[in-house]
Amino acid sequence: MRVNILILILILILAVFAPAAGAHRQTSSSPAAAFESPRALVDHYCVGCHNDTLKTAGVSLRAVDFTKAGDHAEVLERVLRKVRSGEMPPAGKPRPDAATASAFTAWLESTLDQSATAHPNPGRPAIHRLNRAEYSNAIRDLLALDIKPGSWLPIDDSGYGFDNIADVLSTSPALLERYLSAAGKVSRLAVGDIKVKPVVEKFEPPRDPQLGLARRNERVSDDLPFGSRGGLSFQYYFPLDAEYQIRVTPAGVQTDDPSRFEMRLPVQAGLRTLGVTFLKDSTKDENEAPGAPPPSSQVGMDLRLDGARLKLFQLTQRGARIEVNNVSIGGPYNPTARGETPSRARIFVCRPASAKDEGPCARSILTTLVHRAFRRPVTTADVQPLLAFYERGRRDGDFDDGIEKALEALLVSPEFLFRMEQDPRGGGAARVHRVSDVELASRLSFFLWSSIPDDELLEAAEHGKLKDPSVLQKHVRRMLDDPRSQALIANFGGQWLYFRNVATVKPDPDIFRFDVSLREALQKETALFFDSMVREDRSVLDLLAADYTFVNERLAQHYGIPGIYGPQFRRVSITDPNRRGVLGQGSILTVTSYPNRTSVVQRGKWVLENLLGMPPPPPPANVPSLTPHGQDGKPLSMRQQMEQHRTNAVCAACHARMDPLGFALENYDGVGKWRTEDAGSPIDASGALPDGTRFEGPAGLTNLLLTRYRDQFVRTAAEKLLIYALGRGLEYYDQPAVRSIAREAARDNYRMSSLITAVVKSAPFQMRKASEP
Amino acid sequence: MIITKKALPRRTFLRGLGTTLALPLLDGMVPALSAFTKTAANPAVRLGFTYVPNGIIGVSATGPRPSQWTPTAEGSAFEFAPLMKPLEPFRDRLLVLSGLSQVNGRALGDGPGDHARAGATWLTGVHPKKTEGADIRAGVSADQIAANALGMHTELASLELGLEQPFLAGGCDSGYSCAYTNTLSWRGPTTPLPVEINPRAVFERLFGDSDSTDPAARLALLDKQRSILDYVSASLNRLQARLGSRDRSKLAEYLEAVRDIERRIQRAEQQNATIVLPTMERPNAIPEEYEDQAKLMMDLQVLAWQTDMTRVTTMMMAREGSNRSYRSIGVSDGHHSLTHHQNDVEKIERVMKIDKLHVEMFAYLIDKLQSTPDGDGTLLDHSVLMYGSSISDGNAHTHHDLPIVVVGGANGQLRGGRHIRYPRDTPLNNLLLNMLAKADVHVDHFGDSTGPLSDI
Repeated sequence: MRVNILILILILILAVFAPAAGAHRQTSSSPAAAFESPRALVDHYCVGCHNDTLKTAGVSLRAVDFTKAGDHAEVLERVLRKVRSGEMPPAGKPRPDAATASAFTAWLESTLDQSATAHPNPGRPAIHRLNRAEYSNAIRDLLALDIKPGSWLPIDDSGYGFDNIADVLSTSPALLERYLSAAGKVSRLAVGDIKVKPVVEKFEPPRDPQLGLARRNERVSDDLPFGSRGGLSFQYYFPLDAEYQIRVTPAGVQTDDPSRFEMRLPVQAGLRTLGVTFLKDSTKDENEAPGAPPPSSQVGMDLRLDGARLKLFQLTQRGARIEVNNVSIGGPYNPTARGETPSRARIFVCRPASAKDEGPCARSILTTLVHRAFRRPVTTADVQPLLAFYERGRRDGDFDDGIEKALEALLVSPEFLFRMEQDPRGGGAARVHRVSDVELASRLSFFLWSSIPDDELLEAAEHGKLKDPSVLQKHVRRMLDDPRSQALIANFGGQWLYFRNVATVKPDPDIFRFDVSLREALQKETALFFDSMVREDRSVLDLLAADYTFVNERLAQHYGIPGIYGPQFRRVSITDPNRRGVLGQGSILTVTSYPNRTSVVQRGKWVLENLLGMPPPPPPANVPSLTPHGQDGKPLSMRQQMEQHRTNAVCAACHARMDPLGFALENYDGVGKWRTEDAGSPIDASGALPDGTRFEGPAGLTNLLLTRYRDQFVRTAAEKLLIYALGRGLEYYDQPAVRSIAREAARDNYRMSSLITAVVKSAPFQMRKASEP
Repeated sequence: MIITKKALPRRTFLRGLGTTLALPLLDGMVPALSAFTKTAANPAVRLGFTYVPNGIIGVSATGPRPSQWTPTAEGSAFEFAPLMKPLEPFRDRLLVLSGLSQVNGRALGDGPGDHARAGATWLTGVHPKKTEGADIRAGVSADQIAANALGMHTELASLELGLEQPFLAGGCDSGYSCAYTNTLSWRGPTTPLPVEINPRAVFERLFGDSDSTDPAARLALLDKQRSILDYVSASLNRLQARLGSRDRSKLAEYLEAVRDIERRIQRAEQQNATIVLPTMERPNAIPEEYEDQAKLMMDLQVLAWQTDMTRVTTMMMAREGSNRSYRSIGVSDGHHSLTHHQNDVEKIERVMKIDKLHVEMFAYLIDKLQSTPDGDGTLLDHSVLMYGSSISDGNAHTHHDLPIVVVGGANGQLRGGRHIRYPRDTPLNNLLLNMLAKADVHVDHFGDSTGPLSDI
């Protein structure tokens, strides 16, 4: 039962002005509210355990002054969470009826929210080192150079489920060495260093960690021609207009002459796509008769640059399918020019016509770069030290060399590598303050793009326009529509839902049919799905409810969807309610399984943690493990094993919450394929919550999440998004913001854009607490 | 992989495509083997720490299969138990030490999270703070105490190696930050050092990614790097003044890293002399097979010691709490799941296969050190390595009676061929004091140490 909002406001007003005892009588006289006073309610149901003597779970509610709820927000947020989820009062103790409990939580929520509005505590994120993804994207946007240099850096630690948490991102000497080396490489490539020495780089097709070379009989990339099979396609940055030597080493082809599959050719500088693949012989049956000696045949190997054929090699295939072992590119040899690359166009905003123009032009180039890199207005003091690098480089070479040297230094500047915010000068009253527009621009771009602001956003900020909510809103929309918001899908979606882990899982290929094609397909499905949520601005509930997904032939086969041919992905409607939403997607089902079996616990835990925001407490030490055989020696199904495990009371407390959720997904095997039996027993996918609510199978679970747990799911989505947006863990004082985000999203049918906009508008995103003096 | 010593011509050369690339060395970065600061009479001692996660079967008399790891006899007449067998060829260079503990790995009121605490305590002996992120805290680790003291002699103070990628999404262990399970090395109580798992990155860290072998060019490069670092320090100083204290400490980390590399450059400039160096094919990707990856990393460790690029190395055979499977030896279950075997005979057998594989890999490293000449002896003569885990029984998560083996000559200071048993709960940190002392690093106390072990 909902408490009328007017009454709530009245209560609040009275709570401030009237003595506590009388204040809440008003509610009891209202038909909507079913509790007398919070004090009375808490005294009746809670302080039996949570008093100053027992302090159960470290909590005493004895001294809480409900007329000043805001002063007790830390403990009351816990109370709110526990009562709302039904965990408190615990089963077996007297509990208020549902109407009373919900009136109480509604009152508490609104009281805490009002107090937060009056006295916001936005927290204070630490200064923030760019993580690997942010570094890659920042280089891309600063220099029009899309070569993912972040992959050269050590892997970042993560906290609170994300790898962009300021407190956790540390700096080590090893990291700085990588930064220095990356700065050198990036600046050489971006400017086009004519003196660069030739190197040889090797590229290999993706290999299954366990099966090795895949030898796929399908088109393996959208960049390769239709009707091709196997091989690989990759991007390579050709540093100069020069000659390059490309050599393909096929696997399974005997040759005494390693230069047979080699060619040397002039290529213009820039990022290009190189592909090697094989012409599919459609006259051949793909399934040769077993035991038949593999016939030898001629196969064409197609080498392509940016889609155009460079050469078609003829190979003789004997036995196993021919595949590319590796491709190496050597160069640049005999360079002719630095080339006309997008990077050079972006860097050289001017060209000195004469020697006397050089100084001013260098200053102008560097000012533009520093502006973008530091993401704020530039001062002379910022540019001056870089000009010294320019001059030194100019002395030893030409104008471009000078710019390259200055750029190299700029790329290890702490103001590029760290996101820093400053307390306003004067301090004093501004303990809690709005961040500056320029700071807000960076918060926004790192949230939506994992990158630096573009010129448009930065300009709006520098003109003080981001304060205007409608301008801000316009930028959010614009930025979400920009392809750079792909970062939100990969980094936020990939870590929230764990589908990033598909790249590293190792299902046992003896048990599951799992290969490179399936691995790629699983990851792509969920990425495309999440992308469609954002692009089409769908309701976040569709994450669970959508009746469509994206598949290719391999994945359709895996899911048992008929009539899908070819390796390209397409959108398909889902008729089977069990496959709807992410709970039916193989990526999530695989990353929550063990290599050789499903894990009811991991899946249940995943649902609790990531969809319901109530992570179960960790297991106690010395957990008894599962016994795969019954006393009669017969193999037990996973369900039977788990049920035996739950006979232990210590284990039961948590498993009663986790397992039913996981059991509902038992029809999916360890890689997400539908099954009806496990260890010879039919799958029983029914479950019951601790309160007795029954549900069955993935469709039943999804339905439960969308109805009874809808608000909790939306709040959890808001929490995860806020953690990611702020780059810090949430505290009790962030809960009012989480609720306001969820409420705003609800008003707009839970659209992704409303969720994102509400995060951007929230106090912790817009404001900041000043540092302790 | 074969590593041979070879003198390289000073001019850059690149062989044809597909063949071994000449080491793209930065000559200044690779000191001449003959130019060591140490003398033949007193060679420097290298310290290695090789870690295995999830405990080892058969360490404790109370656990399952008690005689699988720990020898039954003490003193010099002990016989190698099956899991330690691969180390038997090095008997006279090896000490088996029983009874040592990292009691700070225990819950001590913090509840679950034994794997995180194991990783965090092994080289620190400090009870880590239970936290997901904001305020991680353990203690400075033994390797870093050594790195701090010995780093002045080498370009890299230490090298942190690993074989398993950290999780890309999700948590690690029961409310503990992943930092606790991902690394052994703590530069300071709040600064874990990342582990490098990509052999190519390790190679480039050692020898650089430039392709110039001209000493003059190398000197110019160092000079440029130094001026970049000057610029960075100046920027940092300017910023420090404008930031709050918590932010300042974040930047201090960066400044410390700058100082570290400045030292490295200084060192490299001093050694920019004759070039005699080992060559090794520049590793490409991470090898698919665990054994290949482990051996390649160990080759790099040997190379780093051989060239005196560093004298301190840690190596994690997998992350603590690792659940990787080892299919090449027929184990397709996850390691961590298996160690909770609940006395299931089959599962225990499978864990033992993994334990044995790890020891075999370690034996490969020792063998390699023994066959690599160094001064008047071999690298093994001038090293001390500790192998083991901070969990004894993976099923019960015990942190006492740890599996610990020490191998190496320590420049004549280590008398091997013995199995010594210490009283229960003797701090492992005491042994770490001994190890540090062998490398001429003298500390009275760190973590929970109570004083060096006798008879080591």
